[in-house]
Amino acid sequence: MKDVAPAPSSSKRGGRSLRAIRFGLLTAAFLLLILTPLLNYYGNLTFIQGWYQSLGIGELRLISPLEGLESMLVSRQIWVPVLIGMLAPLVLASLLGRVFCSWVCPISFLAESVATLRAWIVRRKRFHDRLVLSKRLLWYALIGELLLSLILGAPIFVFLSPPGLVGRELMLAVYTHRLAWEGILVVGVVLLELLTRRFYCRYFCPLGALLALVGAKRRLVVAQRPDHCTGCAGCARACPQGLRPDLGEGRSLYCWNCGTCIDTCPHQALHFTWQTSLPPLRKTTASMDQCR
Amino acid sequence: MKRRSFLKLLGVLTTSTLTTGLHDVQAGLLRSPVRTNHLRPPGAVSEELFAGKCIRCGRCVESCPYHCIDLLDIRHGIHAGTPLIAVADIPCYLCMRCVSVCPTGSLQPVAQAATRMGCAVVNKFTCGAWAGLVLCRTCYDVCPFKGKAIVLEKLMPIVIREACTGCGLCAHACPITAPDQTKAINIEPPAAGEAP
Repeated sequence: MKDVAPAPSSSKRGGRSLRAIRFGLLTAAFLLLILTPLLNYYGNLTFIQGWYQSLGIGELRLISPLEGLESMLVSRQIWVPVLIGMLAPLVLASLLGRVFCSWVCPISFLAESVATLRAWIVRRKRFHDRLVLSKRLLWYALIGELLLSLILGAPIFVFLSPPGLVGRELMLAVYTHRLAWEGILVVGVVLLELLTRRFYCRYFCPLGALLALVGAKRRLVVAQRPDHCTGCAGCARACPQGLRPDLGEGRSLYCWNCGTCIDTCPHQALHFTWQTSLPPLRKTTASMDQCR
Repeated sequence: MKRRSFLKLLGVLTTSTLTTGLHDVQAGLLRSPVRTNHLRPPGAVSEELFAGKCIRCGRCVESCPYHCIDLLDIRHGIHAGTPLIAVADIPCYLCMRCVSVCPTGSLQPVAQAATRMGCAVVNKFTCGAWAGLVLCRTCYDVCPFKGKAIVLEKLMPIVIREACTGCGLCAHACPITAPDQTKAINIEPPAAGEAP
């Protein structure tokens, strides 16, 4: 309840502005998935095609890095257009980290909508994460997914990735007026939100793992002003990834730069910074261990 | 004790499924959906490569102005999400829009005349012209390579294998439908290993 009213100091900066911008972008990204097939089917405009597996805007083609990687690994062929299509997302991830996950991904949009709806229904602001696993599971998910693909000889994530499935189901609904069975996966993943916030994104999303890996030395990080921090741990409760921004985990591999902690902090102790020189990653982890 | 019995049950179930059902499951998971009158879009790489190369982005489906390409679902195992054209329903008009948007090279640029989605085969037992019942030359009339891919010999249609693109216009237009939904002229997919 007390989180509802923003502290007076944070209202200067516009209070929950980051969250509003981010949710706006998530909504726009989701609307794109609905509008594209509608325009393509009824308007025959095929200027924009596809969804976040591969999005074509005119001649510009974007390819999701994991899907492109899987395709090349399994077919054992390097196809240059795939590499070019993967370039933009990879550069984005290497500079900004996992921002696709928190600012664009349709699963994030659905999960956040469910969370908002739930908060509105039960009139409570915060929920406990009922099931907290090791964050390292994310890497095993990526390795396991790639291994399974190579063993089966067919890419798995390309047809079972929940973000991709959202786009595919919406397109199929418009084009064939039916849905595919695998869409149940999306429902399952979104319902897991009720168990733990962003449960799938935190522990099992291979694409998120790849983007996190690419963004290991990202430039945009959540930095902390230690002199402003009162140790209230409000950011830690707010973090959808279950991290501790107050202990410097805003610089860790697992942070996806959603900015929830920045919005939440009543003392403006957290902020986005653009690192010009790369910090030694080991040192921050060591200091985190000390804090514990 | 409860947990142990549960685990035991789980183990027994897994091993029994693995030993008995694995072969069927594997066959079902890996079986290609390409069959008579159900073909890959033009320029597709060979069927052995297709499931691995295609990233299921669906852009071929969205860009097709005739809405002839469909996406497969999870019931087709590893081929889920790949594009397929049921030419008897809506044939391919070889506009090559899907090829131009494919980001992975699963559909590769190919000239219209050089496309080999499959090859038309006349069923001489059901075809009215071959049976001598009617003067039907629908397949010949609709063929985009009329006179090259389908020729008339004594008013009977004959497919020239070397020139047939497998676009399916003939199968779509054929007025005769057998009880098993095949037409009197059908498109057979390229044989495995054969360059498409």
